[in-house]
Amino acid sequence: MSWESRRLGPVNVVEAVDLHRTYRVTTGAIRRRTHEVEAVKGVSFAIREGELFGLIGPNGAGKTTTIKMLITLLIPTSGSASVLGHDVVKDARWVRERIGYVFGGERGLYERLSALDNLRYFAELYAVDHRRQRARIDELLDLVGLKGREHERVEGYSRGMRQRLHIARGLLHDPPVLFLDEPTFGVDPVGARELRALIASLTEAGKTVLLTTHYMFEADSLCDRIAVIAKGEIVAQGTPQELKAGVDAGSVVEVEVFGIDQLSVERVLALEGVRAAVVEEHEQKQLLIVQTAPGLELTHAILSQLNGTSVGRVSSREPTLEDAYVQLVTAA
Amino acid sequence: MSAARVALVGGLISFRGLFGWLHPAIFVPTLIVPPIFQVLFFAYLGRAAGLESDTFYVIGNSIQLAALPGLFAISHAINGERKSQTLAPLLASPASRVALFLGRSLPVMAIGLVVSGVSFTFGVLLLDVELPARALPTVAIAMVATAFSCTALGVAHAAVGLRVREMAVFSNLVFAVLLVFCGVNVPLDDLPGWMSTAAQGLPVTHAVEAARDVVAGASFASVADLLVTELAIGVAYLVAGLALLRLFERDARRSATIELF
Amino acid sequence: MTRIARVVLLGLVIHVKHLSRNAFDVMATTIWPLVYATLAYFMFRAGSEPEALLLASLGATVMGIWSITTVGAADAIQRQRWAGVLELLVAAPTPFWAVLLPITIATSTIGIYALVSTLLWGRFLFGIPLHLEQPVIFALSIPPTIVSIGLLGFVMASVVVRFRAGWAVGNMFEYPVWLVTGLLIPVALLPGWAEPVSWLLAPTWGMRALSGAAFGDGTPLFDIAMCLVLSVAYTVIGAVLLGQFLQSARRHATLSLT
Repeated sequence: MSWESRRLGPVNVVEAVDLHRTYRVTTGAIRRRTHEVEAVKGVSFAIREGELFGLIGPNGAGKTTTIKMLITLLIPTSGSASVLGHDVVKDARWVRERIGYVFGGERGLYERLSALDNLRYFAELYAVDHRRQRARIDELLDLVGLKGREHERVEGYSRGMRQRLHIARGLLHDPPVLFLDEPTFGVDPVGARELRALIASLTEAGKTVLLTTHYMFEADSLCDRIAVIAKGEIVAQGTPQELKAGVDAGSVVEVEVFGIDQLSVERVLALEGVRAAVVEEHEQKQLLIVQTAPGLELTHAILSQLNGTSVGRVSSREPTLEDAYVQLVTAA
Repeated sequence: MSAARVALVGGLISFRGLFGWLHPAIFVPTLIVPPIFQVLFFAYLGRAAGLESDTFYVIGNSIQLAALPGLFAISHAINGERKSQTLAPLLASPASRVALFLGRSLPVMAIGLVVSGVSFTFGVLLLDVELPARALPTVAIAMVATAFSCTALGVAHAAVGLRVREMAVFSNLVFAVLLVFCGVNVPLDDLPGWMSTAAQGLPVTHAVEAARDVVAGASFASVADLLVTELAIGVAYLVAGLALLRLFERDARRSATIELF
Repeated sequence: MTRIARVVLLGLVIHVKHLSRNAFDVMATTIWPLVYATLAYFMFRAGSEPEALLLASLGATVMGIWSITTVGAADAIQRQRWAGVLELLVAAPTPFWAVLLPITIATSTIGIYALVSTLLWGRFLFGIPLHLEQPVIFALSIPPTIVSIGLLGFVMASVVVRFRAGWAVGNMFEYPVWLVTGLLIPVALLPGWAEPVSWLLAPTWGMRALSGAAFGDGTPLFDIAMCLVLSVAYTVIGAVLLGQFLQSARRHATLSLT
């Protein structure tokens, strides 16, 4: 299960070299103005055979654009990319036959058709040998746990079931390479956990996977290596351990507060040794997360700046991948 | 914001933002070309059936076409707001409902008039129809009256739209009823009795009759009562529409169907 | 080749299934033909040619098939986009024309509902007798009529995908095609240039085949052949246009725009 125990092949299965993508955006209905937006500016990475590679970054960072170039839907403005050694622009058909693409969310299925019909249709579009289609679909329904529900219309499916159906669809032609774009987006915790187990089993079966996600613990637990992308550029790349080590090891103080004001946060920020302070909104309370420089014990100093705010639980901990991520993308 | 501003500004903003129909790429293929061809189609169909003169069809269809934006634009706007999920916040806002919907209907009425005028002009020019010039002001007044009454019908039908899931089907149905019942292409006398009776309570019927009478030589004074009837029908639909709106909205809130769509 | 045939056939089955499961689509399909059949009935009955009633009924039927096809084809791509399926279809190794073509034919196939309902409407409401001189040829001419009209929709779909407001264009082609293809109005009544235009449009030949078989006059077999010839031409034109479009969509990133 852990990445060391799996044998990674020496071959680069997916390779992106200095990818750029510019969009032309038009605004205004009557007096139309066009300007160019650089969504991806010089992204390079390589994914080895059998690796589960994570691409993480905030909304609009260029994750999806990058994936769309790799799966042949978009032509790069410059730079190049290849899958299994074939160029994604020149050999688009060849590449399409060997990759699977799964994205998150409710869409991407024919609602008024059964899961079986959806799968049959895509099996045909992916040229799965028609004598083996039925068996292959059965196998996949089993794998994603939809056996017995395949005759029901998709419109009655839960989010998690749809997502598993998506994955089955992406696996129909048994592609050696899979692109999963936020596959757990909007799925409830139990469903998401099942999906993660499913994703983990894919690399065990020898697939090479590129995964994008918003959830850091997901990337942390699943990925062999991660690239953090922000504003169209890769700002860090490495194993989850390496990225965490890269946060210059401070520690994190978390304070539960009720009704904190901006002024208090600013006072905390002004403290010597405080690197970042953010407030997370929870249902009836907020969580003040303060990153501090190493070797300092600031808990008391922080609390003293919160006079007038009622305080709940206080804890301090070591940085997580999420802390590393926040530091990386805010610095970008 | 005062009610008047909600009406005007809200109407204009939602009109532009939600269906952008003012853009020529949409306006022309939906509200200019099909109306012109509707006039031509029925005029030629009349010729094929050896029924009435081209004038009959040009007047009937161009006036009935004032209903096109009233029915489709408003239902499109409601559906658009449902799709973009702005309907719930809109109805949750404290803005006056009457202002909200009247505002939405003002530009629609103006466009209805444009659609009528354009299809009439093209019909006259392309089919070489000869009309007495003195009849034109009355025809124009009939168009204004119909644009108003059809927009009022549009408001009533939009209120029903809060209840009906497939607005497009419903809009089509109403438009079709106007086309068949109101003497637009078939003289009222040739329709079954119940249809021509029903037509007396629908917009379009009286305005079309007034316009045809004037073209046939009648004076404005002699058709004034027809035009007043057309306007009165509009007022009736408007009042009914606003009442329905209030009723359905309260109902939709109680049964939580607004979000459902 | 057999692979493409399988994709097209299965696509047709799948999309007909998907479309006809939406009761409202089906309802919307049948309303207008009934309206036009009704109007035509009143107009022809009130006029001087009562014997033309069955012809009018058939004409209204073909009008309905064209109507659903033009509106459906214009937003065929848009509907795939809204369902979030468009990118998946394009990313598949099957050439996209073989994916889109059955979608537009499926749309015109839904027109069969219009055919049945219009003929029954005429029969039961207006007592128009459903007497067919050559029932076998009549039945034989239905599939080529539907397929060729669907493929005309395919050409349209391939053209309008370039325009963001392409869906709005569907309505625009409804009346003009009804007008020039001799469905309710004899082409001879129209200006001279209309006739050669009508020869290029599938509904012309479909209508001729259906009415020829119904009345036992005309040349229905020739008309069926013309439907097939036009079908091949439409397929080639549509496929070429679509290939061009897709390349440009990949370059200009217009595929997923909603």
